[in-house]
Amino acid sequence: MESFFVRYRNLVVLLAVLLAQIIGLAMQVRHTDSGRNLIDTKDGAGVRLLRLWADSVVTPPERLFHGSKLGMLSLWDNYIALRHTREQNQELQKTVDRLRLEQAALLEDAKQGQRLQALEDFQQKYIYKTLAAQAIGSSGSDQSRLFTIDKGANYKLERDMAVITADGIVGKVREVFPRTAQVLAINDQSSGAGVILETTRTRGILRGSATGKPQIVGILADQRILPGEKVLTAGGDQIFPRGLPVGVVEKVIPDPERDSFIDVIVKPAAHLDRLDEVLVITSTEPRFSPDQQQDLATSEALKGAEAAAIKEQQKASQIMAERLPGLTDPNAPQANQAGTPAPGTAAAPGQNPATPATPPVPKLLPAKHPDRYTQGPATTPLPEPDDAAPDGHESQPAAAPESKPPAKPASKPPAKPQSKPESKPVQTPDSVPPHLGRDR
Amino acid sequence: MAILGSDFRRDLGTRSYPMLVYVLTPLVALVLQAWLPRLLGGYAWFDLPLVVTVYFALVRRDPIQGTLMGCGLGLFEDALTHHAIGVNGVAKTVVGFLSGSVGVRIDVENITIRLMLTFALSLLSSAIYLFIYRILLGLDLEWSWLAELMKAVGNTVIALVLFHLLDRLQLRD
Repeated sequence: MESFFVRYRNLVVLLAVLLAQIIGLAMQVRHTDSGRNLIDTKDGAGVRLLRLWADSVVTPPERLFHGSKLGMLSLWDNYIALRHTREQNQELQKTVDRLRLEQAALLEDAKQGQRLQALEDFQQKYIYKTLAAQAIGSSGSDQSRLFTIDKGANYKLERDMAVITADGIVGKVREVFPRTAQVLAINDQSSGAGVILETTRTRGILRGSATGKPQIVGILADQRILPGEKVLTAGGDQIFPRGLPVGVVEKVIPDPERDSFIDVIVKPAAHLDRLDEVLVITSTEPRFSPDQQQDLATSEALKGAEAAAIKEQQKASQIMAERLPGLTDPNAPQANQAGTPAPGTAAAPGQNPATPATPPVPKLLPAKHPDRYTQGPATTPLPEPDDAAPDGHESQPAAAPESKPPAKPASKPPAKPQSKPESKPVQTPDSVPPHLGRDR
Repeated sequence: MAILGSDFRRDLGTRSYPMLVYVLTPLVALVLQAWLPRLLGGYAWFDLPLVVTVYFALVRRDPIQGTLMGCGLGLFEDALTHHAIGVNGVAKTVVGFLSGSVGVRIDVENITIRLMLTFALSLLSSAIYLFIYRILLGLDLEWSWLAELMKAVGNTVIALVLFHLLDRLQLRD
């Protein structure tokens, strides 16, 4: 027996090592009810320990490399490429001040939107807090598009937090170690995200592929989906907030496994192969910083002042309207207040005299060449022998504004030529109140 | 290819290196494997731990040492991914064992043989990886043989340089 082990010790060692690893593999795979095998996403204690060890070994040199690279870059950026920085800084400071106020206004809108959505029982997440992190390493394998960031549990990172850049979504936090975290990119085969096409509003699931290009799978064939269409997050996966850019449609191919279905190849908006700085969304709850709250208060105060100014303006225009002689007839009888109709505006048959009359109509100047359509008794043309109206019809022009059919031909044609001379007295210094005249 | 008897190859003696080389070379290979893909983007067609495993197993002419080194480096690589730990481990264990076994029987001083071995073992490693993933574990995995071929070529090119550098570090009597 001893000679057997000595003679075949190479094979025995090989088999023992292989057997141990295969047993370990079997323990990590889970059989689902649907008949598929899956890797357990929640690592066991032993597996997690191995990952932690590997991360602890690799991360310090990676930090060193990354720090050296940043040091070299900062040497250039901070000492050489700093011409005209002061002027730019002043310009930017002005822009920041302006943007802070604009942001405060937008935050108000966002708060209002949230309140409305809460009323509609609509769940939506907003990005309110992010944490910047540096990508310092990768898994080193094409089959696993995983990368390491330099922030971990010490910055309160948690599993399944969304990771983005300014360009678009990147992935989600998969494993959190004390000082680092692993992020699973959206182009990994095992990743998934709910997305929506911007124009066609088609929803689907974004999955990674072996080639590293994510694709939306399981979509019914649709001729409207064309290359170049924007893809956004749909917000239904409980990881990525809604509306974040994912990428653009690169091409549409038929699903090789199912007829009448298509796969949409997406070109990611974020540069997934060359990530440097990323943002981890640590909170989607509304939490405003003291600065933001102060900006909000400033914005509200400004809005209050603006509203007061508008009110004041309205009041001034009201006063002006009351004092301008051309707009109101000072001689007009107070028919509404007395409850009796004015002599010239006899109540129409069937109309209750007690009902409030229509607002006072601006008084028109006498027409130069009055005819039978001219309004009012003063402007009533002299009856000509041929078309002289009976006495009963003389009061009709006065009542014309009350009755609709004759009102149009009676009031409209003379209104145009008469409006000009009517407005002239308004412009005279005597008619404009002194305080309004100064303002002009 | 000169095929020699195993006793003869053993009699030729195995190479030895300073302890620091045994420790640092695999470590540097692992760190670079994790770091360089970030710089090279999608063009990281190499597997440095595999090249290091092949080299040490070949020059040490010891299948057990090759087995253990392949196992260690493979498990380490697996731990950096989100996949099951052991897939790369098994693949590199087999590669290390075969390299050590071949080193006993053939002339590994010839650079052409070394490069051909590296190329072939890279493809074998990929095939074992695929076999374990799809057949043994029954998991879904998209696969691109073109990418694996490029990786094998990349490994061969790196081996051309790395083997030469490591040869210069060996201890001489």
